Amino acid sequence: MKITILNGNPYEDNKTFESYLDEVALALDDLGLDVITVTLRDKNIHSCTGCWGCWVKNPGECSIPDDSGEIRDKIIHSDLIIFASPLIMGFTSALLKILQDKLIPLIHPYLEIVNNEIHHQKRYDQYPGLALLFQPEPETDDEDIQIVTDIYHRFSINFKSELLFSKSIETPIEKLVNEIIHYQR
Amino acid sequence: MKLSIINGSPRGKGSNSKILTDQFRKGFCSVESHCDIREYFIKSATYPELINALESSDFAIIIFPLYTDAMPGIVKRFFEEFTNYHLKNHKLKLGFIVQSGFPEAIHSRYLEKYLDKLAKRLEIDYLGTVIKGGIEGIKIQPKWMTRKTMEMFYDLGQHMALDWELNNEIIKRLSTPELLSRFFIFMYRVIGKLGFTNFYWDQQLKKNNAFGNRFAQPYSKP
Repeated sequence: MKITILNGNPYEDNKTFESYLDEVALALDDLGLDVITVTLRDKNIHSCTGCWGCWVKNPGECSIPDDSGEIRDKIIHSDLIIFASPLIMGFTSALLKILQDKLIPLIHPYLEIVNNEIHHQKRYDQYPGLALLFQPEPETDDEDIQIVTDIYHRFSINFKSELLFSKSIETPIEKLVNEIIHYQR
Repeated sequence: MKLSIINGSPRGKGSNSKILTDQFRKGFCSVESHCDIREYFIKSATYPELINALESSDFAIIIFPLYTDAMPGIVKRFFEEFTNYHLKNHKLKLGFIVQSGFPEAIHSRYLEKYLDKLAKRLEIDYLGTVIKGGIEGIKIQPKWMTRKTMEMFYDLGQHMALDWELNNEIIKRLSTPELLSRFFIFMYRVIGKLGFTNFYWDQQLKKNNAFGNRFAQPYSKP
């Protein structure tokens, strides 16, 4: 199973978050899983400009040359993507959201009806499962967690996928790893 | 009374959000003789400029398109400025407009909850969130297709100048439909079989000589 962890932590000195991700990656690696961690703060990713070149000029590819292409490549060939980020102002980081916006080329502009709602059609035959791993802020409450989880659940529908879990980094690593290794897409 | 509009569209001055706020402005200025609206674009403004806009206004509206089911990355980046800066303007009232290409409001409802909570987090009075779907393509649509939407944003601006609030009745009208009706779904499927539902995208693909390549999978392994 291929797992890509998108590390959306903008603060290198946030050691609690970094250590947790390292431990998760190591535990999965020890079990023989193919794990790649992409540290987004080390990448050059330009914000989406809304040009829709990826839909109407060069279908499936972003018109802006940056590091997001190699990440899209990793994502579409993974079985599971873990969106990992500290919560900042009640949501995942801008660093992660900017990358998330650059996943639009992986989806088709054409629309279809899914569960009585309009959604985009898929571009690829298969998409990885999604998971959200977050570090709460001191003021994070259950409502905040529900909000961010609901938004990622909605994103998973448009990404032709499903949200495997939305969990805090306070979750014991064994429990998290156990959930991941039993995941089948 | 000072009103600031902060436009968070990645397209900036060329955005559909700007078309909507232009209508809002016209409605507002039809009532207010001084018409003190200042407009800022997150894409091009500096964060101190944007924060100063909030500090010096009585009312502010942040408008942006729904991107991957949430706010665009550049808007989130702006929100993160408030981790280091506490607004001192306690008289400020803040509202949001979220527009999207999907016809139904349901897509933006989850983000609405976030925006409500954000206003609480910032300890600012919340004016509410306007949700408007079906906006992608309004630039090229004939006037008769966009007339109702334009009128509603004009009315929203006019009521803002009269009552200094985002009128609930207009918010409700703008967010219609909340969900797709059975009739819409039936008709969409019929029109889809005739190949007309993707007319907007097909037109642009053909214009760019990319129609034949529309199902490209550049990351598929050979």
